Amino acid sequence: MTGGKVVIYVILNMLMIFLLFTAFFAVFTKNLLNSIITLAIFSAILIVIFVILQAPDAALAEAVIGAGLTLTFFVITINKTKDWQNE
Amino acid sequence: MSRVHKIFRKFYKIGLVLFLAIFLLFIFDEIQNLDIKRYLSEHYISEGVQETGAINLVTSVLYDYRGFDTLGEATVILTAAATLSFMTPIKKVKMLGTEFTIIIYQTIIIIIPFLVVLGMNLIFFGHISPGGGFVGGVILAMIPILVTINYGITFSENKLKPNHKSLLEGIGAIGFILLGLLGIFAGSNFLASGQANFGLGNPGELISAGLIPYLNLMIGIKVGAGLAAIFNSLIKEG
Repeated sequence: MTGGKVVIYVILNMLMIFLLFTAFFAVFTKNLLNSIITLAIFSAILIVIFVILQAPDAALAEAVIGAGLTLTFFVITINKTKDWQNE
Repeated sequence: MSRVHKIFRKFYKIGLVLFLAIFLLFIFDEIQNLDIKRYLSEHYISEGVQETGAINLVTSVLYDYRGFDTLGEATVILTAAATLSFMTPIKKVKMLGTEFTIIIYQTIIIIIPFLVVLGMNLIFFGHISPGGGFVGGVILAMIPILVTINYGITFSENKLKPNHKSLLEGIGAIGFILLGLLGIFAGSNFLASGQANFGLGNPGELISAGLIPYLNLMIGIKVGAGLAAIFNSLIKEG
């Protein structure tokens, strides 16, 4: 492998490890708002992985839906439901 | 005994996830090593551009070979938006209690025209470059969402009434089905564009690929209006 490929390979594997960390944090944290923000970070890392794997279509869909729309919907839903801070 | 029980309760979820991951790893390894000839994917890759006229093979699969599945996805959003609109209270409900600084107000005013151009670009060039009707529609749906968060629900509903959103969504859904029926009138199957001899044009030009750009436009209108209606219903709820 040439130098550029090694760099891409290392970055890809580091991003996958971060993906694992964010996924575990989003599942196991007690605060719902933290979980939602972590899911957005998860989506952002996944976008970079999709671009490295040469899937720009999936990256666009993930960027718009995963990082933008679901975050908005989840935040508004949590804001509308009561007593989420006391748990 | 109780200490073991405590440790077990703490770690059994992680163990479950790890077990499932290893299980899936073995399954995918088996699938990778199976000796199957992938006729269909080879056919799509080698013949897709000639048969559908779309350079973007993802779009050619989504809107030509598997157009019926796209109709199903559109129906899901239509059903969700219709149900949420039905459950929305008519009275005006107070918005999120957040006040933004002037930086955010001015930034959102500047961003909105760019969002219009980006969404339209993704919709109209869906068969040439990455993107497509769904992604472009979601970006267009971001505009009413930003206006609502910025200026409140009253201003947003004055600018774009909920009835008009529902009308736009209906136009998108019915237009998609009517465009699909064109394939039957041309003597082929439902939602056929490449097989029905619609004049595919030169691959790579804007007006080419038969019905795919129009189907993209309909899906974009439908998804954008539907998600805006869903957001409107969610923010007025309770």
